[in-house]
Amino acid sequence: MTSQRLLNLYTGAFLLFMFAPLVLMIVTSFNDVSPPSVTDWQGLTGKWYAFFWADQDQLRADPVLRALDRDRFVGCFGNSLKVAGAVVPLALLLGLAGAVFLTRWRSRANGFLWWVLLSPMLAPGIVLGLSALVFWSRLGVDAGLFTIVMAQLTFVAGFPMLILMARLQRQPVEMEEAALDLGATPFRVFTRITLPYLLPALASAAVISFLASMENYNTTMFAKGGACTFATEIGAMSRNANGHPPVINAVGTVIIVLTVSATLAHTFLLRKDTRG
Amino acid sequence: MKDMHGRDVTLDGVSITYPNGFTAVHPTDLTVGAGEFFSILGPSGCGKTTILRAVSGFVEPSAGRILIGGEDQSGRAPNARPTALIFQNLALFPLMSVRENVAFGLEARGVPRRARLDRADELLALVALQDQGGKKPTELSGGQRQRVAIARALAVEPAVLLLDEPLSALDLKLRQHMRAELRAIQKQTGVTFIYITHDQGEALTMSDRIAVMNEGRIEQVGTGDEIYSAPATAFAASFVGEVNQFRGRVVALEDGMAYIDTGVGRMFARNPAGLAPGDSAILFVRPENMGFERGDRPEPFGNHLTARLERRDLEGAFINLQMRAAGAEQPVAMHLTNSGEGPAISAETDLRIGFTCTAALILPEGPLARTGREDLAAR
Repeated sequence: MTSQRLLNLYTGAFLLFMFAPLVLMIVTSFNDVSPPSVTDWQGLTGKWYAFFWADQDQLRADPVLRALDRDRFVGCFGNSLKVAGAVVPLALLLGLAGAVFLTRWRSRANGFLWWVLLSPMLAPGIVLGLSALVFWSRLGVDAGLFTIVMAQLTFVAGFPMLILMARLQRQPVEMEEAALDLGATPFRVFTRITLPYLLPALASAAVISFLASMENYNTTMFAKGGACTFATEIGAMSRNANGHPPVINAVGTVIIVLTVSATLAHTFLLRKDTRG
Repeated sequence: MKDMHGRDVTLDGVSITYPNGFTAVHPTDLTVGAGEFFSILGPSGCGKTTILRAVSGFVEPSAGRILIGGEDQSGRAPNARPTALIFQNLALFPLMSVRENVAFGLEARGVPRRARLDRADELLALVALQDQGGKKPTELSGGQRQRVAIARALAVEPAVLLLDEPLSALDLKLRQHMRAELRAIQKQTGVTFIYITHDQGEALTMSDRIAVMNEGRIEQVGTGDEIYSAPATAFAASFVGEVNQFRGRVVALEDGMAYIDTGVGRMFARNPAGLAPGDSAILFVRPENMGFERGDRPEPFGNHLTARLERRDLEGAFINLQMRAAGAEQPVAMHLTNSGEGPAISAETDLRIGFTCTAALILPEGPLARTGREDLAAR
């Protein structure tokens, strides 16, 4: 009984440790004080959210909000969507190719190749960002959205590869062999047998790649040159001279809501997938 | 299904060595006739599946050629060969309906949708699944899935159907039912069947001819009767059917027969391999050919041994006795027809048992199949 209670205590402490900062962040996003605080409660407000749709006069009237550049922030967010829009399909293509190669074309180099393809996931993001910057500048490409895409791709492609490999390993090779034996060309085997079976895994991989691209800070930071993304702009805002504006907390709250919804949707899809 | 016809398959000096150096199939010559139901029987790992995969094109022989209907298949991919393979796990496509599964081969050949689905329905009728076309394979029973796999393979009108232990996942009753069904489908279509199994019952009941295979070599090819009553090697004798074995040395010859000295005494039996005095050999005699010495037999036993009863199992039509004979390495098995008046046997009495010399066979010493009785002997 005591050990049970200890375990409960430990679990409770762990959850508190994990979620208390998030709860505080959500609470402060509704407190009318800057920099954010919970102890100094100045009344409930929605203005840190309203920052995104209030008109310019209202923004100029507020001492904190008038220091922030909304258009730049929206532009940076748009950049993130553009980057993710390129990174996600490319990562799925590369990950799929790697996964099919590693699970279906068994060669002697597979073990080595596995490490090569996955090492960017383990390498420090700073190194990836810097090396992308150096590599592309040598080729005469200026740092910008393109270099961000290339830098992110090096490690984001690992996620779809792992997810698709796990799925392909569960699919019996005999199914593809049977299709080939029945006269299908390898291309038809892939489009009619392998790919439909992979669709749910491709959807999960797309969601995870999207999130990885959107939230990436360190690699992007080094590869971005003069450009900005959602994550780097939040970083820049928090280093504001007047202290971290609660707008960031509002954005954080929205991200949490979106992430939790996406995770729930993903779990739901997975469950449907294993049942089917 | 008059439009199907089988073709013959020839293995011409085929050997298969894997990149890791393991030789799965030693040089093999084999001809399977057009429209024949041919089984390759052997224990797991004997190379039988490798032969099947070579015929279907998934494995390229390291040496030799495979001919189907006289055409060399070298360098032809599985999708370009006139064969269809039924996998051990069936490999049905789970996301397609049963009808789409059966029509897949025709889809791959560019047959229009309407025509291929009609054809699929015809084939489903052939395997008595006409009402199940709309279901997913997972909604069917094991035996039904089996029949879908057969229909799917027949849809491409193969000249040769290759079956890799397709019944092994079914329970005994269904397995016996499917044997008859497979045989009937083979007769009806006239397609050449090459059937891989480790189950001698399947091979004996279904096949026109059987090849017994061990460690990458075909030990004997023949009809079921030939292999059961005239096995060519020690392995074939011990793998197909139950058999008593007595190791010994040939001492003398007489008119195609030979005398052999074994642990249970000197025996006299057929010598089909032409062994010479001094050769190490094994005497084989089937349990149903052994009996009690009673003196009233039409052909008196030429061979006798003394044994004590260890176990008596009533099997219905048969009574299986397990005896311990003095000097024998293993328990001796006897199958008696149950005449309803079996002698009362006590475990304490020495019994005189024997067999005729024509029912027993002397074969050269060689690897034996594992029967499980070795473990009994060790206890």
